[in-house]
Amino acid sequence: MLLQMDSITKSYGSVTANSNVQFSLKRGEIHALVGENGAGKTTLMRILYGMESPSSGEILLDGKSVSFASPADAIKHKIGMVHQHFMLFPTFTIAENIVIGREPAKAVGFDRKAAAAETARIGKQYGMPVDPWKKVADCSLGMQQRVEILKVLYQGAEVIILDEPTGVLTPLEVKELLVAIKGLAAQGKSFILISHKLQEIMEVADRVTVLRDGKVTGTVDAKDTNAEQLSRLMVGRDLIHISRNETSRGKQVLEVADVSINGSKTKPILKNLSLHVDEGEIVGIAGISGNGQSELIQAIAGLMKPDSGQIKLLGQDVTGAPVGAIRERGLAHIPEDRYQWGVAKDATVTENGLMGHADRHQKFGILDGAGIRGMVSEWVSRFGIKTGSLSTKAQYLSGGNLQKLIVARELAQQTPFLIAAEPTRGVDVGAMEIIHGELLKKRDEKGAILLVSSELTEILKLSDRILVMYEGRIVGELDAETATEEQISLLMAGGTAVG
Amino acid sequence: MDKLIQFGRSLLQPLLAVIVALAAGAIAIAIVGGSVTETYAEMWKGAFGSFYFFTNTLSRATPIILIGLGVALAFRAGFFNMGSEGQMVLGALSAAVTAIYLPGSGMVKLIAAIIAGVIAGGIWSAFAGWLDARFRMNLLITTLLLNYIATLFAGYMVSYPLKDRTGSAAMAQTVMLDPSVWLPKLFKGMSLHAGFILAAAGAILLFLFMRYTVKGYEIRMLGGNPLFASYGGVQRGKMMLISMFVSGGFAGLAGSVEVLGTQYRYLDGALTTPGYAWSGIMATLLAGSHPLGTAVAAILIAALQTGGMGMERNTDVPLEVSSIIQAVLILFVSAKFTYSFIKRRKARS
Amino acid sequence: MDFLLDATLYASTLRMVTPILLAALGGALCARVGLFNVGLEGLVLIGAFSAIVGNHFTGNVFAAVLFAVLCSLLFSIIFGYMSIQLKANVIVVGIALNFLALGLTTFSLRAIFDVKGAYYNKDMVGLPKWDIPLLKDIPWLGDVLSGHSPLVYLSIVLVIALQFFLFKTVSGFRLLASGENPTAARSLGIKVSRIQYGAVLMCGMLCGLAGAQLSLGNVTMFTEGMTSGRGFIALVATMLGQSNPIGVMASSMLFGFMDALSIRLQGFALPTHFTMMLPYIVTIFAMLFFKDKGYMQEARKSNESSR
Repeated sequence: MLLQMDSITKSYGSVTANSNVQFSLKRGEIHALVGENGAGKTTLMRILYGMESPSSGEILLDGKSVSFASPADAIKHKIGMVHQHFMLFPTFTIAENIVIGREPAKAVGFDRKAAAAETARIGKQYGMPVDPWKKVADCSLGMQQRVEILKVLYQGAEVIILDEPTGVLTPLEVKELLVAIKGLAAQGKSFILISHKLQEIMEVADRVTVLRDGKVTGTVDAKDTNAEQLSRLMVGRDLIHISRNETSRGKQVLEVADVSINGSKTKPILKNLSLHVDEGEIVGIAGISGNGQSELIQAIAGLMKPDSGQIKLLGQDVTGAPVGAIRERGLAHIPEDRYQWGVAKDATVTENGLMGHADRHQKFGILDGAGIRGMVSEWVSRFGIKTGSLSTKAQYLSGGNLQKLIVARELAQQTPFLIAAEPTRGVDVGAMEIIHGELLKKRDEKGAILLVSSELTEILKLSDRILVMYEGRIVGELDAETATEEQISLLMAGGTAVG
Repeated sequence: MDKLIQFGRSLLQPLLAVIVALAAGAIAIAIVGGSVTETYAEMWKGAFGSFYFFTNTLSRATPIILIGLGVALAFRAGFFNMGSEGQMVLGALSAAVTAIYLPGSGMVKLIAAIIAGVIAGGIWSAFAGWLDARFRMNLLITTLLLNYIATLFAGYMVSYPLKDRTGSAAMAQTVMLDPSVWLPKLFKGMSLHAGFILAAAGAILLFLFMRYTVKGYEIRMLGGNPLFASYGGVQRGKMMLISMFVSGGFAGLAGSVEVLGTQYRYLDGALTTPGYAWSGIMATLLAGSHPLGTAVAAILIAALQTGGMGMERNTDVPLEVSSIIQAVLILFVSAKFTYSFIKRRKARS
Repeated sequence: MDFLLDATLYASTLRMVTPILLAALGGALCARVGLFNVGLEGLVLIGAFSAIVGNHFTGNVFAAVLFAVLCSLLFSIIFGYMSIQLKANVIVVGIALNFLALGLTTFSLRAIFDVKGAYYNKDMVGLPKWDIPLLKDIPWLGDVLSGHSPLVYLSIVLVIALQFFLFKTVSGFRLLASGENPTAARSLGIKVSRIQYGAVLMCGMLCGLAGAQLSLGNVTMFTEGMTSGRGFIALVATMLGQSNPIGVMASSMLFGFMDALSIRLQGFALPTHFTMMLPYIVTIFAMLFFKDKGYMQEARKSNESSR
């Protein structure tokens, strides 16, 4: 056994993130670690990578007990990690990104030529060629992922932790990545693969360990298991299938016609994009993140002015109108990134809940405090938002509870139109079910919803129609009844629609 | 109970800062060879020792409170307005000019002068806001630079076109205002004038405004997370102009009441030398931009200054000890000293 | 407009630019590690004052400069501790430090020299003027470039040294990395806070030199608040120069020239008030050409999902 994590327990105050976890890794093995958000995967890997220290338990490397005080320690022991959010320096070149921390030097200077040569060499050696002098900012996400892996290899890693490595990749890039991983494993490198995409795991992993609520619920050989068994181990019960009612679609609510946003780079961000959302339907937008979805949402919500084209809400032109006017007209908006757009972290739960509702709870410009607290506390009980009190600061709420607060706030606007961008990103299964149920309820009540999500399962589960975005355009429209994951994946990667 | 603890904790930090600052002051006093207890006693007497000294302190606090309130509003909205000095000076000059040259009765002139001061300070401040909103010029820097321009401009005005040529003294100043436009004194023979009432009312009004009105809410959210505010429909550019105008308006008001209530003319350097603007900013920092807290902190700072003067009169310790105490006070409050300390202790246990 | 060709104007530009340039270089280092140092003004003031103090007590100009560097260095440690260790708001700490510097210097002026406002002693010797052999014999150019204090020449050397350090050495590379993406740098085992401290301390030393040039080079005296906004102008120079040493030098030159010009113009018919305004007005105009990062980006950074 190359690596063993023995009885690892980690608790933060009263919260136990890992409880008595056993985990092992053989040389040349690809060992997948799966579990829901918050199951403790990331904590376990942070412990292994020296970013956290365990409350109890020990790590054995080649049978010897080791302890890491910092990532530098872990790197010294040939453990490398590719983080979910890339740890790259965008304005630096690929070579600089790869050699950083162990730069080749000439006299007192940093020998950039040697760095480039070395980069080219290891790229070739591991079958992942790169252009050493290219700036990382100009690279595709797939290329950036490659740089991350090469960086870890350059550091001499034998054990490589990959945290959700395929989340931002196109299906083609995913395939390439999986092939590369297998090739490296054949050369004797060992991988820990954190993922919640069960198909990928079944395709590439040798063994799978499942975590739930910080505990290991099973370690199985990949060949002896299947996706259903794994998801049962992950969730602890069979998933509830939400049934969708048939509704009749009504009149058009949102119309986006021929909208373009040029952006500063050579490629336009949005290119002559048109779509519409009608009463009583959820239109899902699928796509790899970074294909213009964020800008589309911002243009509709009034946060960004399109360079050309028109956006109509309930028949009225709202292109480039101030946010307040569009909201007045009938927009509610669950933002893509809740910390960036959705809350003020230092403000209280009540204050965060008030945004967009202030006009309804005032007289002569003076706020109706009691009415506001009543409104927010009703949401708290209806959505089961766990908060100390209404005057707790938003930053002390967990991600899921914060998201529930935002969803409650926006649904309470009772507007004809709702943008739901990544409505369940990073929330637990329970919260996800509540949020999904509420969205469907709004649809049944003749609401029009534009759903933007990078989770295909979510898109398939909720949408009536599915639009696929690629490089700022809609490249396909599918009926949710008949659409398959394969079809969508292909479109997401820039392929053309088949059938 | 939780609230009580929270309240206690929020008090702990400034309290600790005061203790540390007084300790630093004690060291400074010891260095120059004074007796610490005696010096501090003199300082207390100078600030609060008699009704006269107390009102004197309040009268010094008046412009500091007003400036502090303006800065607090801007800080709350997320704008580092460092331009109070220039805004105050232009406000003062405009008030003086209005009071001198506007025809009409004393009362009309007085009100017009105050309004003129508010508007002048507001526009100068909103100008910096406009530069930021329109050209993305760093507000902190532009407001600082505009201070120099404003004070030099006002200095020019009273050195040449508006210069008082009646007296024999060649001072850079306007002529004396007619007594009919003076702000009334609150007590006979004391320096405290009606401007203090304005300042106190301003503090309470600003507190209520920030806490209970829609606009106040929007300003707080804008300061908390500008993206969140714009997402919710708050227009940053408009809000910036408005809040900078009001912020500068407070500074302009500070200048006006100083001219109308204490100086009775615009005298070059009379507002900048005592450092009212910087004291106001200090008060805001001390109080974490809380309006009522700012007023209290302003009085504290004014007390340190008047106390320092008393100390200098009666001991050999120089007045500048006060500035050390003030600076250390700010430093420790701004560093969230206790806060981090508590956090680290928690992390360890 | 003959005076525009006058060598003394450019010579005085070089003299005036040095404090701004040195402070701006310090500011650039801080900016490169992600700290917006508003405290430059205070750091320079401390340097200016302690240079006079050092001179007064040792009678040796170079010991005085050393003392100035040391004091500003100590002062910058406070900035580092507050902003790096305690993670206080950098801008607030910078403002607070400016207050502290002003308070400390006015107090010490009183405590040490027993004067108010300004200290001047005709026996005090300022920084020497170095005549550069060969160069000084070239007409016009010699008058401009020769005969300055050693700090003027040192500042030029430092520009080149810093340019080399940042863009050609391993340590410089890591410093840039720490500013560009501190989380990533930390994940690679780079000691980001140590590098930040290094930059802040370096900034302190540079500001100490800047202060010494101000009080011992340009004049030989100390007046209360004698930096009069130069620290903030240096900050603008940092931003305009995009935190590149060479760029910072270019933008500092502009401001130094304005400083020199404003003094020069005082001899003419214009009221001094307007000539004194010149550097500030030009600085504001210069900012037109530099777009601030914008609140969007800043807000995005401070509200990142990873808490």
